[in-house]
Amino acid sequence: METLGQYIRKHRELLRQSDRSYSLRQVAERVGIKPTYLSKIERDDLAPPSEETLKKLAHELELDADVLLAMAGKVSADLRQIICSRPELFSALLRELKSVPDQAVLKIVREVTDGDW
Amino acid sequence: MVILERDSLCFRFPEIHPSATLTVTFMRTLRVPDDGSTYPLPAGIDTFPMRHIEDYKDTVPVDWLNRGGVLLPMYQSEALWINFSSSYPMALKIAAGKVNAITGKGWSNELGDAPQNYVVVPTQPWLDGFKTSDDSVNQFVAVPLGHGAATAEEQVTGSAEFGGIQIIAFPLKREIYDREKAEELEFLEMPMFSRRECSESVPASMGLGLGGKIKQKIYEDDRAISDWETTGSRCFVHLVNSQAWQFITSEPVPHPPIPKYEYVRHGIPWFELYDDGASSVQGSETLSKLKTTSAFAATKPNDNMPIDIASTIVVNPNSIVKDGDY
Repeated sequence: METLGQYIRKHRELLRQSDRSYSLRQVAERVGIKPTYLSKIERDDLAPPSEETLKKLAHELELDADVLLAMAGKVSADLRQIICSRPELFSALLRELKSVPDQAVLKIVREVTDGDW
Repeated sequence: MVILERDSLCFRFPEIHPSATLTVTFMRTLRVPDDGSTYPLPAGIDTFPMRHIEDYKDTVPVDWLNRGGVLLPMYQSEALWINFSSSYPMALKIAAGKVNAITGKGWSNELGDAPQNYVVVPTQPWLDGFKTSDDSVNQFVAVPLGHGAATAEEQVTGSAEFGGIQIIAFPLKREIYDREKAEELEFLEMPMFSRRECSESVPASMGLGLGGKIKQKIYEDDRAISDWETTGSRCFVHLVNSQAWQFITSEPVPHPPIPKYEYVRHGIPWFELYDDGASSVQGSETLSKLKTTSAFAATKPNDNMPIDIASTIVVNPNSIVKDGDY
């Protein structure tokens, strides 16, 4: 299974093939961390970085922040807040949906309404 | 089905294919000068927020609720472009005030190929305005609905009834997709470098008028119209002015659009899509006859002063990015 570091490095290198500004050094600068730190993250030498850094990395590398957070074993603060606001309801809901296929989960997602126009 | 996910509209067709998902995002951008020049593509500064309209039953008019959809705030004279993202081919009709942005014709729920009244994603990654000529568009610019007839809707239909933006998406038929995959036909992929982000009592509705010219093609569909599904998913995007947004949603007024001098001062880039001479849908005769918004309202002296474009970033569909002269 692909690790967080491997996943980040793979996507950064993919972007770098067409845009040199995705070098380790330049990405680290834009995210606001040291290149050596990013290098260690990519090699999985350190524990995953903070939620804020992961979100910045996701934004910079055009990745889904929730996916990166999940790979780091974290849940974003907004999701935590949602669950903690109604813990019994959302805990039960998530457990209930644990094994439900994607297509069925999508059916309970709130749709944008379409009316008469 | 259409879902609102983090200020993007996601059109999902899981019954057709697991990857048949299209994401549509509305990008804040610089309003290019309406000075007769044709400008390259301005960068996306930020994404516009959107909210489910039915969450604000007490503060929006009933006819808006009846149309459903989402709310999006814009300042008067603010410009936007529309960003499309999908790896599964989709045909997409876009209208402003129910006037088709490609043909200038009235709204219908079907695709048409004479003339082509839709864009094909992922071939077409962006749409910046109304298709007024073969190789350029006039930028989408927000103007109040029913005040001076500056919207495309009012100029074409003579009425100010709908405003907003309307979108309907149709996925490619599954059998066509599978056949193309089997033939290993290479779809153009989305560029990696996608124009980076570098007190009223009655809500004020906004429509879209025509701003300055931007170089942009609408690519001809190289498939047959029968290759597309005939049942689509659609969405009405209500445009409200920023004060009305605060009144309706109780959220802060969005930050104002980026002024020209800030765009230049920060060296925010301009873009051009490299397409290797791909053919474009012809410009709409109806739309080409419309007046731009500067013909309707007094503009500040600096509003339409030309911008000197030193260079553009050429975005290749195969993700090769290089600097170019403009």
